[in-house]
Amino acid sequence: MNGPNPSQDEQNESAKDSKRVVLVVDADRCIGSGMCEMLEESIFLIDEDTNIAGVLGDGSLAADRATAVIDRCPASAIAVI
Amino acid sequence: MKTVVEAAPNVTDSNLYLNGIPHRRFAALRAQPGIAWHPYGDDDSAGFWAVTRHGDVKEVSKNAEIFSSALGHTNLWDLEADALEARRSLIDTDAPDHTRLRRLISSVFTPKNIRRWGDLTRSVVSDVLDDFEASGGGDWVDLVAAPLPIRVILAILGVPVEDADYLVELSNYLVEGTGGEQSLAPSAFGNTTELRLLPFNSPASHAMFEYGARLAELRRNDPQDDMVTMLVQAEADGEKLSASEFRNLFHLLIFAGNETTRTALSHGAVAFADHPDQLRRLRDDRSLLDTATDEVLRWATPILHMRRTATENTELAGTAISAGQKVVMWYASANRDEAVFDDPFSFDIGRGGGNQFSFGGGGPHFCLGAFLARLEISALFDEMACRGLGLQQRGDIARCPSNFVHGILSVNMEPVR
Repeated sequence: MNGPNPSQDEQNESAKDSKRVVLVVDADRCIGSGMCEMLEESIFLIDEDTNIAGVLGDGSLAADRATAVIDRCPASAIAVI
Repeated sequence: MKTVVEAAPNVTDSNLYLNGIPHRRFAALRAQPGIAWHPYGDDDSAGFWAVTRHGDVKEVSKNAEIFSSALGHTNLWDLEADALEARRSLIDTDAPDHTRLRRLISSVFTPKNIRRWGDLTRSVVSDVLDDFEASGGGDWVDLVAAPLPIRVILAILGVPVEDADYLVELSNYLVEGTGGEQSLAPSAFGNTTELRLLPFNSPASHAMFEYGARLAELRRNDPQDDMVTMLVQAEADGEKLSASEFRNLFHLLIFAGNETTRTALSHGAVAFADHPDQLRRLRDDRSLLDTATDEVLRWATPILHMRRTATENTELAGTAISAGQKVVMWYASANRDEAVFDDPFSFDIGRGGGNQFSFGGGGPHFCLGAFLARLEISALFDEMACRGLGLQQRGDIARCPSNFVHGILSVNMEPVR
């Protein structure tokens, strides 16, 4: 994300945001409770056919929000790659 | 074997709960190192391990293979094998049957699917609050807390409006069954099944089964856009729900989707009546709605405990547990664990910190209806905030004498603007 000479903007961004992490769902553990989708609609969606949570887009989230959604999953099915 | 500790303070005497949850006793249990053995029943072996700390409840919930829901059912008392089989539903099944059943129906309860009922829910909320205000108040349970969840779950299931009162009556009898004493004769509703083979030992369960079976048949022949149709059509791995699975599930949904939310809405109302500053806070800052909903749930703890049975010798918080022993998770206690919640006995709608366990401690049996419950609870208090409607309690709360459901039978409220 930051090159060898980070711009002032990038430095400011890093300082403001917590680091981003990429999340993944363990399909075997998932019970389709939907708590992830409830908390982070933009990156989680329960698949209508399989009833398993899927990760949307690049699956990345600010680290503190990732911690919150990981903790909320009742099946402990979400992890950081 | 059993850790030698002082005799655990009794937390199972139903009459204790007439004065609310015995919080001091649970605090004493949390403070003891290890897990306390709680005598229960006539002989020593009929006791259970009382799990009262948040972290330990989470541990038991997660480890479903060690702490089984199927082996001994999920209530405190023991059932005979045939009674167990007759009553088995999603809640007292283990993997792989549980996983299959849960996968079959969980699509019906996802946030996306439940959100479809958002408008309906908000319109029921509006109706009941209009009635409440027009009456100048009255019994909150009768006017608001009971009708709201029942009307929503019945509408979602696809039960005809004209049958709603009948099903409310039946589920009220089931609630009565949880308290022990029963007003119904064993042959009520044409029941011929031995009571011990029926959920909550109630003939009303028989009536509920009959009704569910009739409705399922109707929907098989004439599918509608409702949950009963989805359930009769649901298929996983080429299999559908059996008649007995459907019947027990229908029963579970009506009871779980009704009585528990009613309890949350009742305790929520009492909490806001006791803490008008918190209601004002919600009015002024509607972004607090989600955390307020969580706090109402933590405060209410509609289901006080669930039981598991150890499938093997194991250990929890340093205490050895033998295979076959009962392990009981007390959500009532976990939701006041001072190690997790700062100032746990204050009602604070902006509370951060740990997860409340009114939907269980996590794991595969996490409440299926969690999102629906949250929808109803948040819709009600959001509408109250929107209207600037406050509450004043008149008289005492009439509580359910039960160690299982944190029920409020009636509480008189007056609207305050």
